[in-house]
Amino acid sequence: MAEVTAEAAPAPNMPTRIGNRFMRWLFAPVPLGRVAALRTLTYLFIVFDVLVYSEAARLKETVPTDLYVPLHVDEVLFPFIPDPSTAVVQTCFWGLLILSPIAAIGIFPRLLGSVIFVLYFEWMLIFNSYGKVDHDRFAFLLALAVLPTIGRARHGDKTLSEKAGWAFRLIQLAVIATYFLAAWAKLRFGGLEWLWGTSLTWAILRRGTEWSNWMLDHVWMIKTSQVGIITFELMSPIIFFVNDRIRPWVVAYFYVFHLVTWLAITISFAPHLIAMTSFLAVERVRPLHWAHQWLTSAYRRVRPAEATGVAG
Amino acid sequence: MITLVLAAGVFYGTLWGDDDDFPIGPFRMYSTSRELDEPVGDTQMYAVNADGEEFQFTQTYTGMRRAELEGQLDKFEADPSRLHYLADSYATRYPDRPPIDQIRIVIEWIELDNGLPTGESTVEEVVSWQR
Repeated sequence: MAEVTAEAAPAPNMPTRIGNRFMRWLFAPVPLGRVAALRTLTYLFIVFDVLVYSEAARLKETVPTDLYVPLHVDEVLFPFIPDPSTAVVQTCFWGLLILSPIAAIGIFPRLLGSVIFVLYFEWMLIFNSYGKVDHDRFAFLLALAVLPTIGRARHGDKTLSEKAGWAFRLIQLAVIATYFLAAWAKLRFGGLEWLWGTSLTWAILRRGTEWSNWMLDHVWMIKTSQVGIITFELMSPIIFFVNDRIRPWVVAYFYVFHLVTWLAITISFAPHLIAMTSFLAVERVRPLHWAHQWLTSAYRRVRPAEATGVAG
Repeated sequence: MITLVLAAGVFYGTLWGDDDDFPIGPFRMYSTSRELDEPVGDTQMYAVNADGEEFQFTQTYTGMRRAELEGQLDKFEADPSRLHYLADSYATRYPDRPPIDQIRIVIEWIELDNGLPTGESTVEEVVSWQR
């Protein structure tokens, strides 16, 4: 025993211990059932996305590519990416529309997941390359990139996986980075004046609703909201430091924030909201399983009656 | 390792990058600050067809979102003939309708006084094109 101790590495020093703790946190395992649930949700969302939410990309099939302004990733990193001609737009659209529901079942997760990621990435290049870049998809795009790395996962599987843990942690970090770095961007581009400026008035005048137009008459509310938004965004990383009991409430607060934003200025951040479910125990929500259980028990209740009927 | 590269990329994007750097650009939604008396601009596009009918030339007709028009406004101003691409897009989308002869982009400037909309607005024509 003494020999072993003598030969063993010296007790880890402070930085190593913190490093180890960080790695344990980064790879904190999650059940495979959660992977299956997030996959289903994510890939089903793509159907809604290409049909409704990002239909502006599909509209580009008629817009001449002369109006296409390639992003750096297209120009520098992947110069071989084709300009969004009608054929390119249609390939992405139909590819995503057909493959996503299949991927939602969970079959061929690596192959289908990778193909969908590539198609969706191109879809996003089309969507963002005509003069406007949206900012609500970073975490969703990252989810599409890392979900294929986990491999097979079945609904209801309680097996814990570190690989899945890493993927989920990355998605979560991307969700929170979207908030935290958004505050940073506001301070970088807008400066501290953003807090007491009229950015929100601007947003409401351009895309306000009956839920928000009344706010225009109360400048103090506009300013309070702006301070509230930045405070919330800067404080969002707190979610990584709260315990399991409080975390769902923080996530609920995030969802309420987006609900209010949507009511006020019709910006929904829908893909981001899907990625945010990575903070929740989504594997417990199993509508198909419940339906199956309900049908089975209903059948059992009916069958004895049938049996008596036959006997009578 | 992948984690670190991703994190470095996103921090780089937020600190020094811009929208061109998608997907690692800064998350700059409504990030510019506005003065309390600065008018708010609402960009609108109108088209006149061969029958002389004028109508608002929206995303459904052109395939271009308002924010996209605004993002490319300087290019349209520099070369108004670029607007004909939108007429082309309309012709592809609605082959049976009369073709577009004129397009103009205007900005409606909604006046603010100390953060309150005054109810007044001025319309400024930014660029126009005629076939």
